Amino acid sequence: MGTMGKNRVDRVKNFGIFALPAIFVFITVVIIPFIYGFYLTFTDWNGVTDQKNLVGFANYVGLFKDSAFWSSMLLTLKYVFFSVVLVNLVAFMLAYVLSSGIKGQNVYRAGFFTPNLIGGVVLGFIWQFVFSRVLVNVGSATGWGIFSTSWLSDPNKAFWSLVIVTVWQLSGYMMLIYVAGFTGMSEDVLEAASIDGATGFQRLRQIVMPLMVPSVVICLFLTLSRAFMVYDVNLTLTGGEPYGSTRLVAMHVYEKAFTARQYGVGQAEAVFLFLVVATISGIQVYLGKKKEVEA
Amino acid sequence: MKKAIRKAAAVLTVLGMTTGMLTGCGGSSTTSQTTAGGAAANKETGAGTEAAADAASSGLAKEIDFLNSKGEIQAALEEMAAAFEAKTGVKVNILACGAGEVPYTKITSMYNSGTAPTMAMLDTTDIVALAEEYAIDLSDQAWIAECESNITQVNGKVYSFPFCIEGRGIIYNKQAIESTLGQAFDPDTINSLESLSALLAELRAAGMENPVVISKEDWSLGAHQLGMIYDTYDGTTAGSAELISKLTDGSLKAIEYDRFNQFADTMDVLLQYNINGKDPLGALYEQDPIYLADGDAAFWLNGCWAWPNLAEAGAEASEEYGFLPWILGNDTTDFANTGIQAAATKQVMIDKKQATAEEQEAAKAFLDWIVNDDEGQRMLVEVAAVIPACKNNAYDPLDPLGNDIKQKITAGKTFSSSFIAPGDHWSAVGAEVQKYIAGKQTREQLAENLDAYWQRQK
Repeated sequence: MGTMGKNRVDRVKNFGIFALPAIFVFITVVIIPFIYGFYLTFTDWNGVTDQKNLVGFANYVGLFKDSAFWSSMLLTLKYVFFSVVLVNLVAFMLAYVLSSGIKGQNVYRAGFFTPNLIGGVVLGFIWQFVFSRVLVNVGSATGWGIFSTSWLSDPNKAFWSLVIVTVWQLSGYMMLIYVAGFTGMSEDVLEAASIDGATGFQRLRQIVMPLMVPSVVICLFLTLSRAFMVYDVNLTLTGGEPYGSTRLVAMHVYEKAFTARQYGVGQAEAVFLFLVVATISGIQVYLGKKKEVEA
Repeated sequence: MKKAIRKAAAVLTVLGMTTGMLTGCGGSSTTSQTTAGGAAANKETGAGTEAAADAASSGLAKEIDFLNSKGEIQAALEEMAAAFEAKTGVKVNILACGAGEVPYTKITSMYNSGTAPTMAMLDTTDIVALAEEYAIDLSDQAWIAECESNITQVNGKVYSFPFCIEGRGIIYNKQAIESTLGQAFDPDTINSLESLSALLAELRAAGMENPVVISKEDWSLGAHQLGMIYDTYDGTTAGSAELISKLTDGSLKAIEYDRFNQFADTMDVLLQYNINGKDPLGALYEQDPIYLADGDAAFWLNGCWAWPNLAEAGAEASEEYGFLPWILGNDTTDFANTGIQAAATKQVMIDKKQATAEEQEAAKAFLDWIVNDDEGQRMLVEVAAVIPACKNNAYDPLDPLGNDIKQKITAGKTFSSSFIAPGDHWSAVGAEVQKYIAGKQTREQLAENLDAYWQRQK
């Protein structure tokens, strides 16, 4: 094995064996559709006809004129901000507690992870039932005003319902990544810190946090991209209601393309969404990587 | 040596996987060829069962696909297809349009992937959008004579078969009304907003606190309730198109349109008696039919497609349910107050792009079987439980809502307007009506937003 990859023929062969199939798949199912989709933003295609006329930047003009798109973009940014912050806070705290060696921690880990195993669609229906039936019944039994009407019928509360369900679903998954980070942490460093007289909080702030940065970077990236692209929970929990006020951007793009049948504008909005997500995640990963330290 | 073997194994594996992928990609396009080829081969050899030989000798394909967009009759259609196959030897595969899948999206992707079904059942709006490019001209078909009043034309030609009639209005539960009031109820006496208001007040006084169920779904509020203002322009689809063009070019404002104001007047009255009134947008579509079936309420704004929901909620087919017109104004001779809207909603088109001539003939034979064969007629009404659009079908619908519509059609108490709007009308306008019933916007704002929606469609 020692000589493998040393000469050019071997290198080409290895590339062919290990990388080519993956690259082939990646190009056919990701790159080509992406380029084709980009091309479609310059046409007036309606989704079925054979005719595609080039219309220049008309779809992008349509994108800037589509006020509903901008309000759902804004709503999505708000949703992403609260989801990302809350998911990671909850997940980090759960992981911290559940890797400190408390009794039955594996059971708890499994328990918190379970919501992530339920598909978003089912989850949305379950919580729809909770918000519009269970909590309303609790409200009428106890007289608590906050539960007197369904949370899903008020734009503001429906938004927070979305955030709550997202946190409930994603924090278990992120917790696992944080748990892995905690487990992989060298005991020596923590011990050394204790010997040097660091208190619990100091240890967390000065030693644990910097060493956890790689996990934080991954978790932030995963939650960011998942929150931006959320569709299933949005569809089944609120369906964009009441009166379209909780329609997140992915749902808006879908409806623009397929319900309103303005395929070009919908596709242009999807490209724009891609740019936003790519930029934000890129910046986040770059900044996060700079903070990483070697143990 | 060992190394070489291992390498060879790796290369083989990779090769195998890559070929697998390549064939996977080509799979869909070859299937349709095989189907067509298979039918042709069968024709030449004349092999197979007697029934198959029938199909071959008459120039029909042996197997065709039918895209069904009416999920609730999937099993019934499969049963009908089996009966058709037993008779003619043509196998009709009923493809389901998955729950939550938009039929138009489904047919779009099927066309793009080269696997278009020979027949597709779609909403009228979709048919109109696809007809000229994708559907064969059916203007010469014999069944047109039977369904004349219900066919949809695109530039003077017929491209689709009206599969069923659907109607909407205000569903009533007769028994709930009679047991509350303690006297017989004649639905024909409700033909103005005054008589409707009086009845609602009476019911409330007699102990039924909130007799009306208003569902909050945007498709219901946008397309079916507010949509009444288009369908009642003059009761014809052409009339609704004329009205819509006026709204689109701004020459008519919704607030100046009498039907819009009548709609809002009726809605205001109904909202006072809404069983979901405490939190109108917290209504649940699963709960709504239960109110009606249990007799907690007497009316539900909906259409005949709601029967399965009512049956699930405990309503029996032997009980008396029926439709009041969607009351508009106080003119008791107004066609909107004496009859209900009922029109062909689901239409079947036959593909012209990807289907072979034999497949198209088989599809035509299937439609002919539904219209003219006694077994086909019976199954359409009794198994699929739809209201047939063809007048030669004498079977009576088994469920009370369908039966009521059929009787109203026979008595001439229906109007057949079925307005055609852009695909996002129900969700965009539905959201505006939701705001209205939640008290978040006034009638004037609703009118302005409706104008704004239409003027965006220029």
